[in-house]
Amino acid sequence: MSLTLIACVCLLATGQSGAWGFSYGDQAERNEACLACHGDAREMAAGSFINRKQFTQTTHSIIGCQACHGAVMPSHPDGGKVPRAECRDCHLEVNEEYAAGLHAAKTGCSGCHNPHVVESPKEISGQEINQICSACHNALEMTAKHGEWLPQSELHLRMLPCITCHTGSKEYFISMYIVKSKDGSRFGKQEVAGYDELKRLAAGREIVSLIDTNRDNYVSLEELRIFNRTQKSLRLHGMMTPGTVSHKFEILDNRRNCTFCHTSGSAAMQTSFIAMPEENGTFKRVAVEKGAVLDALYGTPDFYMMGSTKSTRLNGIGLAIICGGLIMPVGHGFLRFLTRKNRKGKEHQS
Amino acid sequence: MSEKKRIYLQPVPVRIWHWINAFGIITLILTGAQIRFPESVTIFPSYKSAIEVHNVAGLTVAISFSFWFFYYKMVRNTLDKLYIPDEEDLKHGLLRQLLYYCFWYFLGKPSPYHATPDHKFNPMQKSAYLAVMFVLMPLVGLTGILLLNVTPLRVLILMWGGIKIIVALHFLLACSLLAFLCTHVYLATLGKTPLAYIKPMVTGWEDVEEHEEKEPEAPATRPAYRPVRHYPEYAQMQQQEQRNNG
Repeated sequence: MSLTLIACVCLLATGQSGAWGFSYGDQAERNEACLACHGDAREMAAGSFINRKQFTQTTHSIIGCQACHGAVMPSHPDGGKVPRAECRDCHLEVNEEYAAGLHAAKTGCSGCHNPHVVESPKEISGQEINQICSACHNALEMTAKHGEWLPQSELHLRMLPCITCHTGSKEYFISMYIVKSKDGSRFGKQEVAGYDELKRLAAGREIVSLIDTNRDNYVSLEELRIFNRTQKSLRLHGMMTPGTVSHKFEILDNRRNCTFCHTSGSAAMQTSFIAMPEENGTFKRVAVEKGAVLDALYGTPDFYMMGSTKSTRLNGIGLAIICGGLIMPVGHGFLRFLTRKNRKGKEHQS
Repeated sequence: MSEKKRIYLQPVPVRIWHWINAFGIITLILTGAQIRFPESVTIFPSYKSAIEVHNVAGLTVAISFSFWFFYYKMVRNTLDKLYIPDEEDLKHGLLRQLLYYCFWYFLGKPSPYHATPDHKFNPMQKSAYLAVMFVLMPLVGLTGILLLNVTPLRVLILMWGGIKIIVALHFLLACSLLAFLCTHVYLATLGKTPLAYIKPMVTGWEDVEEHEEKEPEAPATRPAYRPVRHYPEYAQMQQQEQRNNG
């Protein structure tokens, strides 16, 4: 924690509220003093509006508005510029890491992260991570550019967070999220299912019960199979997502080697979570049984990574089929060799 | 007494198709093995090159299959006769051929069936090719095309139950084709010499042994196979032919 943040927390703890220009009570109330205006979308311009539900879920809400906007004058709003802290004041290591990457010359932290909505990759669906990138990187343009070397580039870009390849992140896992077809049909265009929609489908129960039927906050393979067999309009998509994210954006040569992802035995294929949307706009992470994505058919029928998520059971069946085909050459061939004298004269006649 | 005769068994289009198919399927098996087991199979220099070669070989075999179908169905109009077993094949032919492979062959008896241009396949071949050419090949091709176009054909993939079901089908069908290939290649060496059945697929011509007591033209009622002396139907056919001639 940087000195600035420590100073902020100390000031809050010692009650030296006069330093901020406002008289705050506890932290939530202090935030509320700001959110009374900034949380009202009708009053605030888009750039100043803060989504109350999302902000209250962030770590930033714990340290409070004034930790970053400390020097707001008592006369606010008076048209004067509101001060803001630099991200590096607290996130120095991340800042240095970011500065070494390709993105640093293009944009700062706020180019990707809204400090009032920040979430970790584990708390959002993979698809939403890419929505941040697509704010600057046109999806069609990126698809065409990647298509110059990447097979099925549209599929890769849709089903993989950009940061998986463009950062040296570590500890991958499979992040699953529920999609629903727009028109409610089974084959319509799919989009990430929202909280309200899932709540309606769950008929008043917690939406996690759509998959986690025994509500133990853990999705077993059997529960996953039942969900995938019985649900008509809801489906589960998956993404190989980094757990520990690096902020150094770069073009890594080893990501052009397909076997970085498409090789079996990867620990990433053993761990998976389902991102369940919450009422406040965030996602709750529900653990899934180990190795569920390696199930042959109904574990994750819409998530398959060549070479990585192959089923050992199917491999066994395939091997048995091939061995069946070898019965004739091996078995018959052996008997043929033993009885070769019976045919010798006749073969010479031909 | 017998004399040697040559029959033109495999026309040029069939031979071209066969060898395109053969090399294509072998390529698909090798590249497919690397795509599924990249950690242990490294025949091609990179995973991407294995995928690209697999895609090209798959499309080549699919196009070649379409030409094969068009040629036999539209040009020669012999597809049904060649590939669909008739009543006689099902009643007696399959068992007879099975007995030959499992028993009579080891005793040095000749095959109960001799290929002619209009009846190239014995009853077991017909049944196997019927399954391979009308079920396995179209299905493995169709699932391959779906996997090659996951995004544009998303709805079709969903109709089949999801990409994993398509992949499982594609893999198991490919294993079945490999199993068939092993048997097919082995049986191709069961001629009088190991290359006797393979040669016609290269030159088009097969050397056959004509027996003096055999009619060159088969009556319409005669079954597709050509019985030889040690089979029970031989005497009946001889009597029938004598009656017809008399």
